[in-house]
Amino acid sequence: MSKSDYSSAEDKALVRAAQQGDMEAFEELVARHRDKIYARAYSMMRNEEEATDLSQEAWVKGWQRLSQFQGDSSFGTWMTRIVINLCLDQLRKQKRHRTESMEELSEESGGVERQMPAVVVNPTAGLERAELRQRIDRALGQLSYEHRTVLVLHEFEELEYKEIAKVMECSIGTVMSRLFYARRKMAALLTDLKKENSK
Amino acid sequence: MINHEDQLKLQAYLDGELSEAEASEVANGLAQNQEAAALLAELRHTQGALAGFEEHIKLPESREFYWSKIQRQINAAQPAVDKGGTAGLFLLRFRRLLVPLTGVALVAVAALITLREFGPESVAVETSLADSGAMVYHDYSAGATFVWLSYPADNEMADNDDLDTFD
Repeated sequence: MSKSDYSSAEDKALVRAAQQGDMEAFEELVARHRDKIYARAYSMMRNEEEATDLSQEAWVKGWQRLSQFQGDSSFGTWMTRIVINLCLDQLRKQKRHRTESMEELSEESGGVERQMPAVVVNPTAGLERAELRQRIDRALGQLSYEHRTVLVLHEFEELEYKEIAKVMECSIGTVMSRLFYARRKMAALLTDLKKENSK
Repeated sequence: MINHEDQLKLQAYLDGELSEAEASEVANGLAQNQEAAALLAELRHTQGALAGFEEHIKLPESREFYWSKIQRQINAAQPAVDKGGTAGLFLLRFRRLLVPLTGVALVAVAALITLREFGPESVAVETSLADSGAMVYHDYSAGATFVWLSYPADNEMADNDDLDTFD
């Protein structure tokens, strides 16, 4: 395959070539999907350096396990699952080193946001796309890793409740509670951020 | 105030996780419950705000730099298989063959012992000397000969009805 062949080839053809040991084909796959894989790692880790390292680790694992890729899902989806698992492992390790605060225990059950009245005005209405991204970014950073992960897996990875429960090794009920709490907290944070900005 | 169970049901309705019957039950309830309708609207706004959020996140490194680290890690991991290279691969295959090979070896040894003990060349040849009641064993491999002499001779025994007595 020539350089131009790589850039014009479909993912499937590149995967087949990479499975035969063609590293240039794999490099092309990395180039195509690196932003998506990095973005997922960043959404979960909230740290550029960690996200970069974990996404690179995911690619190395992807190369080593290429023979296991059967093509049941797209290559991008397959790689995304690898990076999600690596991020979850990392987050679990980090959590083991942290003491659970009272705030976190309260978050698990829904905290005050559960009783909070609904935010009636859309807090994101009239915002420029860039400003909205910035606010969401800050709000996501204020969630605990469990709540952020459930939100990421549901909203970005589009997994069903039962799939999230399997990935996170918890019950469907816990997934529903965490997702509800995460959404309500996001709404509250976005509203607060809007108020802060309008002051 | 909506209870937590209903809050979660409302969310499941938004996420399409309810059965058809449950979904229509929630939809009907929404018309009469403003609080529930407001909560649903809030959940929808949040969902809408998050849509497409990840698309703007870009890797903060150039393609070449990013790839070079991946390539280094792949190459660093590979020698474990490559450098041990043929030797490593041979050992790996040998280990897989070890169990069946051991089995075959054991069977071969057992067969050899059996042949040595009972094989045609070393089987003790049994010879009966006519009318003497004697049996002769030749073990060629061990170079030994054994002779059994029965007393009284078999032919004599046949004629003797009273074997229990020694007199």
